[in-house]
Amino acid sequence: MTVTRESSALISLEMANPCWDFSQTSLRTTWSSTDGVYSLTVTILARLRSLIVVLAVVVGVGAPVRAEQIQTKRITITVSAAASLSKAYTEIGKQFERTNPSIKIRFNFASSASLVSQIQSGAPTDVFAAADVTSIDKLLATGNVTKRPKMFARNSMQLVVKPGNPLRISSVADLPKASVISLCAKAAPCGSYAATVLSRYGVATPESKISRGIDAAATLNAVSTGDADAAIVYATDALIARKSVLAISIPVGKNVKASYGIAVVRGSKNSKQAEMFVSYVLSPAGQKVLSNFGFLAP
Amino acid sequence: MNNVSSRTPRFVRIGALIGVVFLALPIVGLLKRVAWSTLWGQLTDVATRDALRISLYASVCATLLALVLGLPLAWCLARMQFTGRRFVRALVLLPMVLPPVVGGVALLGAYGKTSGLLGGVLESLFGIQLTYSLSGVIIAETFVALPFLVLALEGGLRSIDTKYEEAAAVMGAKDLTRFMRVTLPLLKPSLVAGLMLAWARALGEFGATITFAGNIQGRTQTAPLAVYTMLESNPEGAYALSFLLVAICVGVLVGLRDRWIGGASQ
Repeated sequence: MTVTRESSALISLEMANPCWDFSQTSLRTTWSSTDGVYSLTVTILARLRSLIVVLAVVVGVGAPVRAEQIQTKRITITVSAAASLSKAYTEIGKQFERTNPSIKIRFNFASSASLVSQIQSGAPTDVFAAADVTSIDKLLATGNVTKRPKMFARNSMQLVVKPGNPLRISSVADLPKASVISLCAKAAPCGSYAATVLSRYGVATPESKISRGIDAAATLNAVSTGDADAAIVYATDALIARKSVLAISIPVGKNVKASYGIAVVRGSKNSKQAEMFVSYVLSPAGQKVLSNFGFLAP
Repeated sequence: MNNVSSRTPRFVRIGALIGVVFLALPIVGLLKRVAWSTLWGQLTDVATRDALRISLYASVCATLLALVLGLPLAWCLARMQFTGRRFVRALVLLPMVLPPVVGGVALLGAYGKTSGLLGGVLESLFGIQLTYSLSGVIIAETFVALPFLVLALEGGLRSIDTKYEEAAAVMGAKDLTRFMRVTLPLLKPSLVAGLMLAWARALGEFGATITFAGNIQGRTQTAPLAVYTMLESNPEGAYALSFLLVAICVGVLVGLRDRWIGGASQ
């Protein structure tokens, strides 16, 4: 595998080289022998010398710019947030940076379950915002979070199908009609919420019909750009994708209350700035953005 | 041998050592995480077995399909002069440099049932749906593996002196005989190298597969997808499967060591 990656990277660089058609020279000497990849690498590297020089110049030019940045030092905080928050949080982040020009926010969006294992294995994170309470409870148990999370939003699930609804699915009870159903990975909050909805309907869906998305966004994409017939996703994500999918609401009695929690991660070097971001999310300004993106008040 | 190694400067040797550690450390780290006592149980779990079966089957099929498509392509690129040759060559290299997820989206654009150029026709005429099927996995893996085979074969074909083939032709060998008895034996080292690279790429494929063929356990979930999916829900299973993938790859490398790893030094 290493060999593969290496040659792939080198050949991609070769494409940027004006004299990239190396068919005449390099390959003739290389693949014929059994140590093909190695000598291919050597040959291509030799021909890339000029490119490397150019790269070195570019990096050199970049250096003074970096020195300037150090003078007006901005503190960067890392916010790891559930994938379903990506649109709303990006907007909140922009507003927060405008009101606090000395702080820069770096977002890390993934499924809450992935983020938990990232934080537990020591990924530098200042704030964690999850799509459920259990994810933060796990971090409380391992001591990665010390204070109880603050609830900042609520969400629910919706059924989405292809535009025009070719299979005439009108509720979760019709899901057996679908040949491929897209659901979140079991460990992700949206996966367990979907499982709850399915069990409240008493609908049995065999695993052989379920394609597991790695997070809420990927799960929805399987219907909006892929060929999956239906998906159970967050109402907020269905709202964002309303042009490419048809959303069918799930009655409150069979739906779930997805509560979103936020907490500062222990060991954050910028806990003051992290607390500021948490307060901003809970402030009327932050709550307004969340409600614009379809989230309910906590 | 001794003379040569004493002439190797110390910093080169230290650099090489760092390189070795850099490559070995993640493998050691993986082995450390494997729960050996439950390994067998994890590997015989249904999800793991399904994923392995699908991965091995699809990667071998993809390699064979890449061979069928790649050999004529490499032949033309190596031995023909035609307009648009550079374009074809760029097209062949493209899946190699493209992020695999983009490859998956592109495949949806071509063979997707609802949005694809050809997918709708395939579905209505033949009732074939590639997305979310094992064939889809094979298509996605072939798409990313083909360039490796074409590059290797093209290089091999260029290096063969055509006078052997000409001599065979003069002696009356037909096209097929000439190919089987002259070209193929000369091409063998490049062919083995190309098949290896293509198979390894197909086996490790993730992005194009999950985008185009989905992640259905027992149907389209390959070993890399299973590792990623299990990482949160069943980490022990994920490490066990990762270990097995490493073992399979090492096994194949060792099996081919004569013509691949150590061959050059002799």
